[in-house]
Amino acid sequence: MSAPPTHPDELLLACRGLVVGHAGRAILPPIDFEVRTGQAWAVVGPNGSGKTTLLRTVLGLLPMIAGDLQRPRRGIGYVPQRSAMDVDVPARVIDLVRSGAERGWSFANPLWLFKVRPQVQRALVETATASLCSEPWQHLSEGQKQRVLMAQALAGDPQLLVLDEPTSAMDLHAELSVFQLLGELRRVRSLGVLMVGHNLALLARHATHALLVDKDQGAVVAGTVAEVVASPAWAVRYGLPVAPALGRAALGGGADA
Amino acid sequence: MPEAEALPTVQQFLDSWELFRDPVLAAALAGGLLGWLGVYVLVRRMVFLSAALAQAAGLGVAAAWYAQIHLGAPAGLINPTTGAVISTTLAAAGLLSARGGALGRSDGVLGWVYLLGAAGTLALGTRIVQEVQDIQSILFGTAVAVSPEDLHLLMWLAGVLGVIHLVGLRGFVQVAVDEDGARVRGLPTRWLSLALVGSLAAAVSLATRVLGALPVFAFTVLPPMAGLRLAPHVAGAAAVSALLGAVAGVLGYLVAFLYRLPVGASQALVAGGGLILAHILAWGLDRLHHWQAHRHGHIHSPGCGHLAVRHGDHVDYLHDGHLDHAHGDRHEVHTLQGPPDHGHDHRPAEPGHPPQHRHGPLCGHPQVAHDDHVDYLVAGRLHHPHGDHCDDHGALDVVEG
Repeated sequence: MSAPPTHPDELLLACRGLVVGHAGRAILPPIDFEVRTGQAWAVVGPNGSGKTTLLRTVLGLLPMIAGDLQRPRRGIGYVPQRSAMDVDVPARVIDLVRSGAERGWSFANPLWLFKVRPQVQRALVETATASLCSEPWQHLSEGQKQRVLMAQALAGDPQLLVLDEPTSAMDLHAELSVFQLLGELRRVRSLGVLMVGHNLALLARHATHALLVDKDQGAVVAGTVAEVVASPAWAVRYGLPVAPALGRAALGGGADA
Repeated sequence: MPEAEALPTVQQFLDSWELFRDPVLAAALAGGLLGWLGVYVLVRRMVFLSAALAQAAGLGVAAAWYAQIHLGAPAGLINPTTGAVISTTLAAAGLLSARGGALGRSDGVLGWVYLLGAAGTLALGTRIVQEVQDIQSILFGTAVAVSPEDLHLLMWLAGVLGVIHLVGLRGFVQVAVDEDGARVRGLPTRWLSLALVGSLAAAVSLATRVLGALPVFAFTVLPPMAGLRLAPHVAGAAAVSALLGAVAGVLGYLVAFLYRLPVGASQALVAGGGLILAHILAWGLDRLHHWQAHRHGHIHSPGCGHLAVRHGDHVDYLHDGHLDHAHGDRHEVHTLQGPPDHGHDHRPAEPGHPPQHRHGPLCGHPQVAHDDHVDYLVAGRLHHPHGDHCDDHGALDVVEG
């Protein structure tokens, strides 16, 4: 597959006046932000603040209520929560990763899997999951599961990775590994990253930009990590002073991965 | 026991094969088809869907008899087969348009269709007394004969659905296993869901007409459970389930003949027995794998292939960034902590790699969890990337390469 290359600083995701909600009812004010190649956006906010609604709208799983949403040319790689996978359903690592390379009606093409073999292999190698190919999903550790889901998302050769709570229920080492891998992938593949999570310190440290959504305050703040951490909405939600790790990230401009 | 009351033998079954051929073939086809489709039903946790459709089909059969006997409906237009197809199609359409869709969380609607089907069939059964034997066969599968028309219809259906589900196999599996992911990847999830419910409605309506609601429900649940337990992936489970469904259909018929049991009950019992055997087999295979893994050094030991490092007063094995400590037949995860040998003083590391080398998960150097961060093991020293150079975080004593 010879996909057109990603240009440096290419606009991958543009949300302009995007209104999200359920059944035609908006839950957040209009959202404006742009994700470009190499950027890592952390979507933060308290539980029930609208993070998941925003994520599902960006993915096309929920209809947007108003505004304009522009998605990347080569599509989005979606990394769902690990708990979304049913452990009673048998699946090998290779089956899951291959399924990530399907597009549209490709499943009806018997030669499709041969065609996408190189990009499936690349995804397996980059996430260090090639040795796990024949392992059943149920036997994997949490860190391995996360890497397999990332390989699945990468198998479609996307320009933007969208991750839902990538490090929930992980120990610190596994959590750090995931963020390091994300940083590496961003660099090697010129990927954009949009992730939702709860570990504010780690997210702020490994993201370049942040999007604070807070349904209760009716606030949406988008910008660099330093800008968002310095915003009044942040102060209202998380108080002052900001946590040391956040402060460091804010001062240093984030992303050291 | 007097000779006349002796149970029939297999030889007698084979001698009368001409008589049994069509019902046995129908049971094999229906068992195989429903076994295959049932895997998707089970994966989507919609077991009640097939039960509801089977009961709706039963009601359609009873309503067709009623219409013929009491309302004088023409047999060419309204017969048990068309009745089953019409009522199942209506039920499937109703379920699809219900809130959440038939493959969503509409358990209450499914229960409603199931109860309406079962109660309606029994109620109509009392009004068609001369055909009450048919009501029994509709609900519990006591049918011993299959009309050539129904058999031909079943063969056509199995052929058409077989082609559709082989061509669309990967799509059907994706929609069943991970519908959100499939939608993000642009798969036609709505069409695939419609095709799945349509296939199920067609297979269930015809199979209920031929075999009865009880074995139809059994074939959509029990062989798929066995398939999902035995196979490594959903496609394999569908194949195993289809085979088991077909075998249960045929064996159930034979057992019913040999022990003078109702055919439907016998088929359901054989499928249930097959499920128990599948679980025993899967358990045995699991034990075998565990034993083999143990034998091939899955539990770390000298020479197992993982890097052995000295950690305090003992030896650990470096695995996936952790220090694994073998303890009997299990591992404890150890984490390298703090000094003695380093103090996070940002002392530059001795170069062990080119200056432009950047450590990362793909760089080739083993990762080592160290306090709250990750270091990289380079020539026995722990490197910690810091700006454009590496800090030295001390030594890690490798005792075995």
